[in-house]
Amino acid sequence: MSDPSDHKSPPTAPIEVRFRGGGFAPRPHRWMGPVVFVAVIALLECGTQAGWISALTFPKPSDVLGAFGELWESGLLFQHLMPSLGRLAVGGAIGASLGIAVGVLIGLFSYVRAGMVPVVAAIFPIPKIALLPLFVIWFGIDEASKYALIAFGTFTPTVVATYGAVDNVDRSLIRMGQSFGLSWMSIVRKIVLPGAMPGILSGLRISLAIAIILLVAAEMLGASHGIGAYILQAGSLYDLERLFAGVVILSLLGVTLSAIIGQIERRLLRWRS
Amino acid sequence: MVTFNRRQTMGLIGGAAALGLAAPAIAQNNRIVVGALRFTSHSGSFIAVERNYFAEAGLDVELRFFEAAQPMAVAIASGDVDYAVTAVSGGLISLANRGAIKVIGGALSEEPGIDGQIILASDAAFQAGVTTPAALDGKVFGMSTAGSSFHYMGSRMAQAEGIDLSFTPLQSVGAIIGALRTGDIDAWSIVPHIAKPLAASGAVHEIGRVSDYLPNYQVTTVFTSAQNAADEREKTNAFLNGFSRGVSDYNSTMIDNAGGEDGVNEMVDLIHRYVYTDREREAAATSIINGTMRLNEGARLNVGSVRDQLEWFQSEDLIDADITLETFVDTSYVETFEA
Repeated sequence: MSDPSDHKSPPTAPIEVRFRGGGFAPRPHRWMGPVVFVAVIALLECGTQAGWISALTFPKPSDVLGAFGELWESGLLFQHLMPSLGRLAVGGAIGASLGIAVGVLIGLFSYVRAGMVPVVAAIFPIPKIALLPLFVIWFGIDEASKYALIAFGTFTPTVVATYGAVDNVDRSLIRMGQSFGLSWMSIVRKIVLPGAMPGILSGLRISLAIAIILLVAAEMLGASHGIGAYILQAGSLYDLERLFAGVVILSLLGVTLSAIIGQIERRLLRWRS
Repeated sequence: MVTFNRRQTMGLIGGAAALGLAAPAIAQNNRIVVGALRFTSHSGSFIAVERNYFAEAGLDVELRFFEAAQPMAVAIASGDVDYAVTAVSGGLISLANRGAIKVIGGALSEEPGIDGQIILASDAAFQAGVTTPAALDGKVFGMSTAGSSFHYMGSRMAQAEGIDLSFTPLQSVGAIIGALRTGDIDAWSIVPHIAKPLAASGAVHEIGRVSDYLPNYQVTTVFTSAQNAADEREKTNAFLNGFSRGVSDYNSTMIDNAGGEDGVNEMVDLIHRYVYTDREREAAATSIINGTMRLNEGARLNVGSVRDQLEWFQSEDLIDADITLETFVDTSYVETFEA
């Protein structure tokens, strides 16, 4: 590569070396999300108004808004929303807390791990909706079977996320705690649980999204009120406006839950910054 | 051995694909898909296929089976199915309002004197004194979904008796039967071939007849896509022609007993090829004979009953209030009557 003629060329000006290792770090663009939403909805509105999207294919976004307004004015919104939120809260709380407890136990004790991991792996892929008739027999057709379905659905992903998070806690920190003579309980409380918290919370995001999905399934049987029941009824009546109004409510619910977990993360994980 | 180079191979593949795509188009002329459920009430279509009535009307019919009426209605709207028979439901009317489907004739009807749909009560409710529909005040009535025919029947019955009834959606017939057995719901109404064995088992009890409240209820209708109804008159008439011959055979054999015992047996054998195929012939025969209800001759349509159903859906705010009978029904194909 070296060219002997280089020796005779005059010395070049020193090259400016900028910092180039910026990585692909995402930067916040708050306005971008709303812009995409508005553009898609405007496109759908134009299409349905002009007729190149038929009434059978997609409802007019303005009519969906109308259906939503109707829900609000008649007070039906809260009649549907309250039972659903109750089911989500009770079912999700049972599933998530049991899941975190079992996950932590799996992470800490080898016997529990050897016994429970195959069990969790076996029940994870079961479509919980398929067990709905069974839950009705076990827990009756009222609220208990709905709680059970949602709890069961959120339990397994929470367990998997939790023991994964416990496994990923920095081993050198634990070793350090041990060599400083910390008791077992202190190590768990002061090192393992805080260290596992980011993983547990991100697992919770997934579990709670699954809980919302299962809400619709849980309200298939014997629910006359609830967002899921409202969506199912609109579907069977082929009432696309109400169907989409219900779907939008579920989406908003998902966004809200995600924001709440974001807040919890900020509070619980303050030690990281 | 014949060897192909790459270009020849591509040519062959292309040729085969072109032929494969063209073949259905060539045969498409009179090829139609008829949707059906595995119920005796769909026997008109089965008989017309088995006895070549569709073929004689110049149609090449493929039967496509569904598990429920709702997906069948959506399949007509999407153009995957051309003609089908199903109960009038809120979903069907909504699809008609969106310009997707039209009702063109009638099929299953309640008729006084023939065992029609039966109102059942759970054992618990029956023991507690619910022995007539009038005693169902404040009780829970099962239905598949809001706006289904069960909802309509229960609601009209409650109105006639002046009682208060609440409705629980359970999605499928299987789930409703389960809930009725356990007493989670108190009552339900269903076609006789399902009701009779249930009542015979003692787990539920017969407490009334739908025909007492809706004497000439037009339970199911023949429907097609709005496009077929408007632009394919010839094909639609040919379908109704073949279908009506099947219906006529069914009525004369199963209800009017024109062929005697042998006729019934032969008809049961034919229907058994489509309905209760997972059961022994003898067990199936009982259910098939139990399920006998009148199918309208010539696919006549009871417009009076259809109007009543439309008005009920509107009064319950299940469908738009401004839907008219004309957007839902095309009366130009068959004879209509009011009863």
